[in-house]
Amino acid sequence: MKRRTYVALLATLMSATAWGQEVSLYGTTMAEMWKQNIPGSDQTTYTPATQYLGIDANKLGSDNLSLHLFGWGRADLSDASSFDGSKSGGYLNYGYLQYRFDQANAEIKAGRFTVNQSTGFEQVDGVSARTDLRGGFTISAFGGRPVFFKTVDPAAQSDYNFQHDFIFGTRLAWRLPQVTEIGVSYLEDGTKPAQDLPHPSLVDYTRRQLGLDLLLTPSSAFDLRGRTVFDVANHPDVAPGAPKHSDIAEHDYTVTWRLGSQVSVTGNYAERNYFAYFAGTNLPSLFKQDDNDMFRGWGGKVTWTTEANFQAVADYRHMHRETFGDANAAGGEMRWSFNEKAVLFGVGGRWVNAVDTKFVDPTQPYLSLSYKEARIWTLVTKGRFTASLDGILQHYDSGNPYLADFRNVYEVVGSLGFQASTNVKVSGDVSYGSNPVAKHETRGLLKAEYRFGFAKKGGQ
Amino acid sequence: MARKTVLQFLALVLGLGVLMACGLVSPETSFARTHPDGLGAGRPICSECHSNDVAKGSLKAYATFDHTPTFVKEHRFQANQDPNTCAACHAPSFCVDCHGGKVPMKPATRLADRPDRDTPHRGDYLTLHKIEGRLDPSSCYRCHGRANNDQCRACHR
Repeated sequence: MKRRTYVALLATLMSATAWGQEVSLYGTTMAEMWKQNIPGSDQTTYTPATQYLGIDANKLGSDNLSLHLFGWGRADLSDASSFDGSKSGGYLNYGYLQYRFDQANAEIKAGRFTVNQSTGFEQVDGVSARTDLRGGFTISAFGGRPVFFKTVDPAAQSDYNFQHDFIFGTRLAWRLPQVTEIGVSYLEDGTKPAQDLPHPSLVDYTRRQLGLDLLLTPSSAFDLRGRTVFDVANHPDVAPGAPKHSDIAEHDYTVTWRLGSQVSVTGNYAERNYFAYFAGTNLPSLFKQDDNDMFRGWGGKVTWTTEANFQAVADYRHMHRETFGDANAAGGEMRWSFNEKAVLFGVGGRWVNAVDTKFVDPTQPYLSLSYKEARIWTLVTKGRFTASLDGILQHYDSGNPYLADFRNVYEVVGSLGFQASTNVKVSGDVSYGSNPVAKHETRGLLKAEYRFGFAKKGGQ
Repeated sequence: MARKTVLQFLALVLGLGVLMACGLVSPETSFARTHPDGLGAGRPICSECHSNDVAKGSLKAYATFDHTPTFVKEHRFQANQDPNTCAACHAPSFCVDCHGGKVPMKPATRLADRPDRDTPHRGDYLTLHKIEGRLDPSSCYRCHGRANNDQCRACHR
């Protein structure tokens, strides 16, 4: 969206809030400062200031009409903190009008919003609608212009803008109370595939996907949920002898058994074929659509929750990537809460075994990327004060080429907050760490959060 | 003349379609817009109070929305299928802490004073992402493939 369109849209939306009978304004002002001591260069100091601002205006002439805005702006007061060298930035995360009907959970949104009612998670400048239907059916749809993101290469940007012209998604589902939900969804992102480009490209920024999702809860002790996504785009024929691409973009299924009131066991299986799953992005070296690679992972988790405010989780996962090799991960976490959740305490650990990973370094084709992680944290609330402490340590195997022989990486964060009034909270964080980029890194963050109006909810 | 007839026919079909669609809409009242009581700190277990109820609209037991560790990790399914149920307690800004499209800092920094929340990328993730990204880049794609990637672009050109 062009800058002047942004300004016009924001001005219109902001002025519309004046019609609201219940207007809530909330913001967070953050001032950060950190110093980095990078081996071989001078110590650097960063001082970015960030302002988040959100508005919820309800009852805009009608009880059912509301407006929602959220965005942020950042300015660096000294060195540029962003990797791209820019010293300022800002973004409108969402800004939309919403009409919620009293019947059938129906709603209409118009403006900039995010949707995940189809096969993906999309950010759209457009319109969306949903409603429940008779007989347990529900339907939703959205359409508009996908929100653009910058690419580094101007030619790629031109292709991206050309192809990424329109996005449409819809989902139809059927529900049987307390037993099942079955959904079918469709996503069309861009109407001009790569083969229509003036100069044909291997990178296709468009997607056409069909999704099937399922929830099965035959008893309160068991549920199965997940989805399969198919790539239904027309791709050019593969060269004779070349491996055929799979049409299945993703399988992702999770099953949960509850053994009594305290223990639950979860199993998960996921598979993703990159050619079908990825579309062209502005990170071409990261998401390689033409790799013909695939990922398969399976694992499980056991959760034990006692009535005495204790929770323990243990998990294991096996991962297989076709061009890379196998890895195993296991972990555990324990959480306690005392004094009616005024004191929270947790410890956790994670172990990743990736001892024979391929293609990390051409001179050493097999290397270990294994690591272990430990974490301990606490959060205490007393009266108007909150205090927290969070420490995390990662210990890497020797020979990892990414670490420059730096095997122990850690970070400790301490925070102190004061709830000055119902609507205002101020807090300060200090962190200290050591990592392969910065031998010593100290960060400070001051935060002021404020909320005015009639909001009764909002991520407490 | 023929064009006018076609347009009239299409208008008639559209009108009948709208009338039929209205007849298909569920007559049930919508799910509550706001949870009537304030919730305490920590992850709520909906079924502690709503033991035998079915959530209106979603037609699921409230236990489906219990904020267990599995729910926190896999909440995309519930958010996809029942956004109205989430909206009773969460304003849209809650989701933006992580799913902002483009955010100025990683969620773990923004929420450093909330170590109890499962924010992604705690600690020195800059080092760790080289390993996690090797093991499975498709897990990065969900957030960074379409958005949230200004910082990634500096290196992954």
